[in-house]
Amino acid sequence: MSRAVWQSVLDEVELSVSRATYLTWFKNTELVELSDEELVVSVANIFAKRQFEVKFNDQVRDILKKQGVTPKNIRFIVQSTGAQKQTVSRETTVQQQPIAVAKPKRSSQPGSSLNPRYTFESFIVGSSNDLAYTACQAVSKNIGTKYNPLFLYGGVGLGKTHLIQAVGNEILRANPEKSVLYISSETFVNDFLESIRFKKKGFADKYRNVDVLIVDDMQFIAGKEKTQEEFFHTFNALHQANKQIIISSDKPPRSIPTLTERLRSRFEWGMSIDIQMPDFETRCAIVEAKAAMTDVELGRDVIEYLANNIKSNIRELEGALNQLLAYCEMRGIEPDIGTVEGLIGNIRQSRPQHISPKQIIDKTARHFQITPVEICSEKRDKHIVTPRQVAMYLLRSELHLSFPKIAQELGRKDHTTAIHSVEKIERAVKLDMLLREQVASIREKLYV
Amino acid sequence: MELEVTQEKLTFALSCVSRVASSRTGLPILGNILLRADKTQLIVASTNLEMAATHHVGAKVIKPGSITIPAKLISEFVQNLPKETIHLKVKNNQVYISSGKYTSTINGTVDDEFPELPSVNKKEAVSYTLTTQDFKSAVSQTIIAASSDSTRPVLTGVFWHSYDSSLYCAATDGYRLAEKKITKTSSDLKAITPTATLQEVLRTIKDDTTEIQMLFDETQVTFLFDSVEVTSRLIDGNFPDYRQLIPAKTETYFAIHESEFARITKIAGLFARESGGGITITVDSDKSTVSVHSVATEVGENTSEAEVELGGNSGSVSLNSKYLTEALSVMDSEVVKFEFSGKLAPCILTDHTKSPNYKHIIMPLKS
Repeated sequence: MSRAVWQSVLDEVELSVSRATYLTWFKNTELVELSDEELVVSVANIFAKRQFEVKFNDQVRDILKKQGVTPKNIRFIVQSTGAQKQTVSRETTVQQQPIAVAKPKRSSQPGSSLNPRYTFESFIVGSSNDLAYTACQAVSKNIGTKYNPLFLYGGVGLGKTHLIQAVGNEILRANPEKSVLYISSETFVNDFLESIRFKKKGFADKYRNVDVLIVDDMQFIAGKEKTQEEFFHTFNALHQANKQIIISSDKPPRSIPTLTERLRSRFEWGMSIDIQMPDFETRCAIVEAKAAMTDVELGRDVIEYLANNIKSNIRELEGALNQLLAYCEMRGIEPDIGTVEGLIGNIRQSRPQHISPKQIIDKTARHFQITPVEICSEKRDKHIVTPRQVAMYLLRSELHLSFPKIAQELGRKDHTTAIHSVEKIERAVKLDMLLREQVASIREKLYV
Repeated sequence: MELEVTQEKLTFALSCVSRVASSRTGLPILGNILLRADKTQLIVASTNLEMAATHHVGAKVIKPGSITIPAKLISEFVQNLPKETIHLKVKNNQVYISSGKYTSTINGTVDDEFPELPSVNKKEAVSYTLTTQDFKSAVSQTIIAASSDSTRPVLTGVFWHSYDSSLYCAATDGYRLAEKKITKTSSDLKAITPTATLQEVLRTIKDDTTEIQMLFDETQVTFLFDSVEVTSRLIDGNFPDYRQLIPAKTETYFAIHESEFARITKIAGLFARESGGGITITVDSDKSTVSVHSVATEVGENTSEAEVELGGNSGSVSLNSKYLTEALSVMDSEVVKFEFSGKLAPCILTDHTKSPNYKHIIMPLKS
């Protein structure tokens, strides 16, 4: 009710003053306290405070009176918005030891270390990630009740970190009183080690007294038995108290090797969603949005060229775009298709230009732990047939080999075998999540 | 409003406040300067909602009143007038300015929308009065270490605080840290002032000013000197507890003439452009020399030596030549002392005196 009172004041003021005045002075104000005695309103800075005290005091009082609210005293206090406090630095220079950046952890600074840049608004939704996006939004509205834990997984540079931080930021925006803790699993490990080494208290407090715990890159916890056990207890404590847990990883829980069984089952308990490679349209949208942020308009052909040529990783896509923009700014030229072709050619050269059919077969075989000889042999055991079909599928999708050529590479005489295999895997990839991950992971290995 | 004022006084006030006025905020009137005449003086003021500058200019006021007027135009016009008396008159929101044969009319805006300027309440504030000399050196010595990275707002300011019954100011960007002990104090203070405000104060303060008064309260700070008042918001947040980073003991130190050290650092820096400014300082305790070395793989390399007064063990450390050059450029004394302990611990640069008031800490480069 009290919030509504101030809102009505804002609504009325908005009509009576100019837009600029309203945005400058009234926009970031909030009601802090309302009683018969006193009305306390927080404002953005000292300038706004003075402005309210001197210029708007009477106006505010009049409007309140109309609402039937007549506090004896109206007080304005300066309170910076929560977002500012939670800003975190992202270190770009790695070769130097930061003095103050490493320290705050120990001096127990408040704040959730979320990056305010990552919001739902700035996330570009496409068919490859809309499920994850929707789930994250649902979680931010139903904290701890809807999907708990929420487990997001997908390859590098596809937006996991962006999404989970967006949840955190959204929760803080809507409920500033909630405490949100965002950490990477490495921080958790370090904190834990430190607490053991120096017999420090407060480790459990830090992690168990939050409303939302967001852990990034969970895969790094694999293999660390004691830490896993500690996380298990933390997890239970939070889950028991209906606190939200959000986890991201590059693999689904069951594919993280050396993750203890009890953690695995817990991670699979809530909702686990994968983020896929973005499709062509989404990539176009991303390029467009990023370019718009820097006030540059790109031609349709440029956008499509970028989206078409960099498919697997959004970070790389942004990098290419940045390189293009910087290049054009330095030379004072308009980004056109010619420039892009020249530049992207440069970027792509750093990757292996040619993957040979043999490499694909070898890596596929190794992934499935069979020998290249076996995969090309006549055998028809099930554990060999599937890898063989996957290899054919990859030869087709990555190298665009002809079917007769594919058959030949794998020691088959008949090209219809290849056609059948490729079609089968194409179908299966859409239905079978396990297979999809396997294909993706082989593909990733091909390009490292 | 009608008044007469000398060109010199008005030019100074206008050029100062027009730097503060900003047309970039959402409120167009902030690109204007406020002119307000009361019985005895002209008040010239502007704000960008981060800070506000107010100048009190002695003037012969014929008729009090007030108006706001675009900052840039009036300040450039008045600047170019001869050094004579200027006659200023406002009628129907137009400002008539005349001086001898020069007259001009500038369209103004009523001051209704111009924000009331905040000011620290003198009674409740923590107050310090420093000599201009002290203030200038403290600020210029620390401000160079402040960060420009807005993602960590607390590091973008200078941290004024009391510690062990002395007043200190300090700044850091995470890679270097500057700390100055200013004077004895009995009051408690913790405040982070934005660098932009301090730069403005430094620019405005005249050579013949003797004292500057600083008034701090919870959320704002006011600097008072001559007839100028600069008020600014403080940066919200906790400054990192930096004292634990200053090494208490060091293994190696040498004392060297500031100018010589600056020269060899600058020379080495020329060859370090490729490696991000990395230079290596090596001390040989047998030879009582220090050498500075840098390599540019495709260009060449450089080694410079200097004879110094040494103490402690031999050792070497790599650091960014830019940081060292900047730090050396603000040192007070002719002879400086450089201390370090191996490749990883922070280096300390101080004046070569018994109890130096200024410390500059530079983190080494990990090579």
